[in-house]
Amino acid sequence: MRNKFFTVVLAFLTIGIFVSSASAAEIKIGGLTDCTGATSDVGRDYALGLAEAFNYVNNTGGINGKKIKYTWFDYGYRIPEAITKYNFLKRMGVIAIEGWGTGDTEALSPTVFKDKIPYVSASFSAHLTNPAKTPYNLFFAPDYSTQARSVLTAWFETRWPKNKDYGKRKPRFACVYAFPAPYASAPIKAIKDQAKLLGFEIGDDQDVALTSMDSKSQIMALQKFKPDVVWHGNTTMCVTATLRDAYALGLGADWLVNYWGYDENLYKLAGKAAEGAMCAGPAYFFGDNKGQMKIVHEYAAKYNPGIPAKDRLKFTVTAWSNVLLLREALTRADKAGDLTGPGILHKGFETMRDFKILDGGLGTSPVTFTSTDHRTTSIVPVYELRSGNFNYVKTIDLKARWPEKWAKEWLGW
Amino acid sequence: MKRASMIAYVFAIGLFLVSCAGIPTKPTEANFKAPVITLKSAQVTQYNGYWYYAAAIKPTKGKAGANSAVLPLAFLFDITNPNDYPIKLEGFSFTVVFDGFDVNMVNSFDTQWIPPGKTNQLTVMSILDVHQGLLGLLLPNAEKVKQRKTNPWALLEKWWTGIPNNTVPIEVYKGSATFTADGVQKVIPFAAKAVK
Repeated sequence: MRNKFFTVVLAFLTIGIFVSSASAAEIKIGGLTDCTGATSDVGRDYALGLAEAFNYVNNTGGINGKKIKYTWFDYGYRIPEAITKYNFLKRMGVIAIEGWGTGDTEALSPTVFKDKIPYVSASFSAHLTNPAKTPYNLFFAPDYSTQARSVLTAWFETRWPKNKDYGKRKPRFACVYAFPAPYASAPIKAIKDQAKLLGFEIGDDQDVALTSMDSKSQIMALQKFKPDVVWHGNTTMCVTATLRDAYALGLGADWLVNYWGYDENLYKLAGKAAEGAMCAGPAYFFGDNKGQMKIVHEYAAKYNPGIPAKDRLKFTVTAWSNVLLLREALTRADKAGDLTGPGILHKGFETMRDFKILDGGLGTSPVTFTSTDHRTTSIVPVYELRSGNFNYVKTIDLKARWPEKWAKEWLGW
Repeated sequence: MKRASMIAYVFAIGLFLVSCAGIPTKPTEANFKAPVITLKSAQVTQYNGYWYYAAAIKPTKGKAGANSAVLPLAFLFDITNPNDYPIKLEGFSFTVVFDGFDVNMVNSFDTQWIPPGKTNQLTVMSILDVHQGLLGLLLPNAEKVKQRKTNPWALLEKWWTGIPNNTVPIEVYKGSATFTADGVQKVIPFAAKAVK
């Protein structure tokens, strides 16, 4: 009788230990950000957004009840530093990483493939969308090439018909970007291909460093070509300087801007010079009061109370979208009982079909991953800047417009 | 008999009060008072001088690169818990400011418990080299540099030679500290200037 009593007590104690350790289970996620380097003008806001979004995940049930322990580092956009921090995160036992730019993401891509660690990044380079080459690189947005093709198409369909030379000649197009910067150069081949497809005349590229605050010589070179529209592939501070130079020198072209060069600071810094500039909008801007943006605003105010809302950027929303994408993948993989790298990839990401991040409340298009195609979507809303406001122009669906090319030609570049 | 009852009664009341004193206050959103964060010092932990080699310069050993002097700073904070219960520090981040310019955003993952009414100390390291500082001045701070009618190299030299001598104002701001107590969370902002 006495033995039986002790057996029962021991059983309860054992169950208690297991229950408490299960409830205390946590999932380790790493982060690599740029708060001090060449892309820090946009990287800081993204870093803040990631941390706030992970707090949201933990406050709303975590991953099937498991909390996330998120540990992040600033690597200053220096690749050796990114590799060092990556190795440390790996030793810590993280099962996935929220990365940053095209530099670190492409440099680490073979390593994360070998280590089978899902790497969700803010680099939307199309080079990362072919799972035959880079299966563990993932992100929520349409890739840079898809965005660039869409923005150029939107310009061609909305602005070009209003040009006085419409129907008399081909529209003229040129690109300005930092040639050696992987982020800036990533979509150039695709946007030129799209320009050719739409019948543009294409001028010479102009090299402007990411840190350049003076583009007068490049603008003067463009003046000879007289472009109707120019693509700028850099980040916001450089884009601001170039647009101001172009305005001052009377270039007269419209501007299309890559994702990380177009944010709430652009109009503040460039003013009228940025009027009419167009960009893809794969997620809402920070100031948007629609969908589920209230949650994003609340978490920004709660977790970074020292930073006024007026100083926050759309990259907070970008960060949330990537975190909630990873959350969904982890939740699915965990339900399948497989939180390994391959489990997160195949039983998580690659099971998503038209998945709506936060029920579409962050303005993102539904996300689909398959085992042969990691382009999340072909649907790209395009915006233009008017008197400091980001106005919706139209949505381009590349897959619907060019299904053959989408399926057979455009994957991975 | 009456006296004995009285003694027993007083003893029981005393026992009750003593036991009440031992019951810790349960943390709630309403009674969670904001901890007080004070910057005690910003110390250069190892001074390496002021230097920068462009990527084109061949080093004596190792690989070439845009290498430069690192300026490690240790920020020492006092964190006082004004509550009647222990609290746990779970997150701590802030932006470092030299001479009015944001130069770094740092965060600490160290956790620690702070007893009720007591003050703990936390040291957070900020590591910055000249090259990083340069990028910060060329990009996020570019407009401010222009407004001040100076240039990035002049500022960097001033900082790297002046900070060890305490002649450059150092601040922290946009600070955010996360505390928890029994499942209740409180995030507080903070900002401070380093004492000269």
